[in-house]
Amino acid sequence: MIDQLAVDELQRVGTTSAGVTGRRSRSYLGESWERLRENRIGMLAGYVILFLAIVAILAPVFSQFVTHVQPDRQDLDSQFLPPGVHHWLGADETGRDTLTRLIWGARVSLGVGFLTVTMQIIVGGGVGLVAGFFSGWVDNVLMRIVDMVLAIPAIFLFILMAILFTPNTVTLSLIIASVGWGGVARLVRGEVLSVRSRDFMLATRSLGAGNVRLILRHLLPNVLPVMIVAASLGVGAIILAEAALDFLGFGIHPPTPSWGNMLSNAQTYFAHSTWLVVFPGIMIFVTVLAANLFGNAIRDAFDPRLR
Amino acid sequence: MLAKFVLRRALAAIPVVVGVTVITFFLMHSTAGSYVPGLALNPNLTAKDVALLRSQLGLDQPLWIQYLDWTGVAWVVQHLGLGSLLVGANEATPGLLQGSFGQSMVDGTSVSSQLFDRLPNTILLTVTAILIGIAVSIPLGVIGAMRRGTRVDNALTTVSVAGVAVPQFWLGLICILFFSVRLHDWGLPFLPSSGLQTPFTGGALLDRLAHLIMPAAVLSFVYLAIWSRFTRSSMLEVLSQDYVRTARAKGMGERRVTYFHALRNAVIPLVTLVGLELPGLVSGGLVVEAVFGWPGIGLLAYQRALAYDYTMVLGIVTFASILVVAGNLLADVLYASFDPRIRLA
Repeated sequence: MIDQLAVDELQRVGTTSAGVTGRRSRSYLGESWERLRENRIGMLAGYVILFLAIVAILAPVFSQFVTHVQPDRQDLDSQFLPPGVHHWLGADETGRDTLTRLIWGARVSLGVGFLTVTMQIIVGGGVGLVAGFFSGWVDNVLMRIVDMVLAIPAIFLFILMAILFTPNTVTLSLIIASVGWGGVARLVRGEVLSVRSRDFMLATRSLGAGNVRLILRHLLPNVLPVMIVAASLGVGAIILAEAALDFLGFGIHPPTPSWGNMLSNAQTYFAHSTWLVVFPGIMIFVTVLAANLFGNAIRDAFDPRLR
Repeated sequence: MLAKFVLRRALAAIPVVVGVTVITFFLMHSTAGSYVPGLALNPNLTAKDVALLRSQLGLDQPLWIQYLDWTGVAWVVQHLGLGSLLVGANEATPGLLQGSFGQSMVDGTSVSSQLFDRLPNTILLTVTAILIGIAVSIPLGVIGAMRRGTRVDNALTTVSVAGVAVPQFWLGLICILFFSVRLHDWGLPFLPSSGLQTPFTGGALLDRLAHLIMPAAVLSFVYLAIWSRFTRSSMLEVLSQDYVRTARAKGMGERRVTYFHALRNAVIPLVTLVGLELPGLVSGGLVVEAVFGWPGIGLLAYQRALAYDYTMVLGIVTFASILVVAGNLLADVLYASFDPRIRLA
């Protein structure tokens, strides 16, 4: 009985995807993708993000054909005009159209969100891989640097650096990523430590693989799921941090519209023009909520530690 | 054993603190360079006056000497009679090592005195927020766990997922809009929108509470969302343990099982989670302090950063970072004294 099972197992391992057992062999990422597609809330959140991204990219088109105004177009006849036929979501103190500005603001929020996540995954992932793989003093030095960066309260570090750079989408992403990479590095390092001690690494090394090949071809694919999860869970927090910086005046400056600086501006007028403070907040909330829900779905589908 | 662990951890924290001072100092100086706020705007100052001012502030010295002076190392070196090592350095002033965080570049006040003026306000705000967070999230988590899968549980889950996505400053604005502006418009009792107390007339306990409640509630919102989820899952885990089944088998009432046996063990991990917030005591409320004009350390840092008072910002950031390192150390030690297994790691 046991022998028969073992033979079956050997046969199955020995055959290709068109094997005798009839079960199609799939890659880890392919399998995870299937699981993700079964998560309805997660997919819905994903579509919301996709929709917002398309809106952000097509902002000039919306300006031209849907709202018929540019984000900085002032119109003193419609000062503080409440939401209505002319301005669907109202107008601000110089008659600028709120909806148009929200659409253009999406470029900042989503742009910074995705750019920052990319940066911190590349830097944090790289540092984590190197620290975990080489261990010893390399690991010690790199992880102490991470400790230092994470010891400085993030908001203060943002403010310090926001004075250093003139904030735009790229520099803001750099600023936020310069703190965010630390957490990713810790996470990836931990995962590397557990993968590194597995037999296949020793086997690959004994076959003569060099360090670079070991890291890029064998270690990286194994920690990739953890990096994907960290990336997708990070976007929401980044968008919140960016909006807070804009709000405080250390981020994107007016007249470039961003959800954060629209709220900052609305502070003066919100007692009589409620819509100015309500709509940008709702945009931030919906975007962050969708990003978090999608991130959770990704985690449930991809995280190997949840198996 | 524990003493050895504490010592090891404390020693490991020293290079981190040193590194933090290096990062903040050089970042701040590359930010601001040798700029003195307001100098360029004053038409009565000649180039010679500016040079004199810069020299008085020590800005004409090499950066590494400025760093040693700021950290207080230069002071120690000179007092040991080794001043000749610091070529070209002025008379050193007490620095970080002597407990001085420097002076403001704008009004010359000592950073430490400003910090300690504001520290009680910040701690009052954050501790109140944490207490509100604990007081509300534990019951919510327990309800969620006891009624797992019901409509109540689902509603709580939804609220907590949504809670993490709400921008704090927006929540603050909406609260001000409703509780201060609208209630006032309608002629109802309303909450004050900013400050520590009513100017001139205020200061009574009730007045201060009225000013505290809104910022503290807004600040506690994120804690609420996270901690209630955590309590729920921790509670569910504990309820499936053998000793809970044993307690039930002995005929103990469900209420007693829940509140005496399960809850007590379920909240232990929450202590760690709350402990993780301790380092953020000082910095965590910056945005909320800015929205509500709460005169704490966050608001101080914010206003001084807007005014380019970079020595003040540098002092505050360093102070907050040292607190973070100390807070982490404290959390480690507390955790190790609760759980002996940690000490071996």
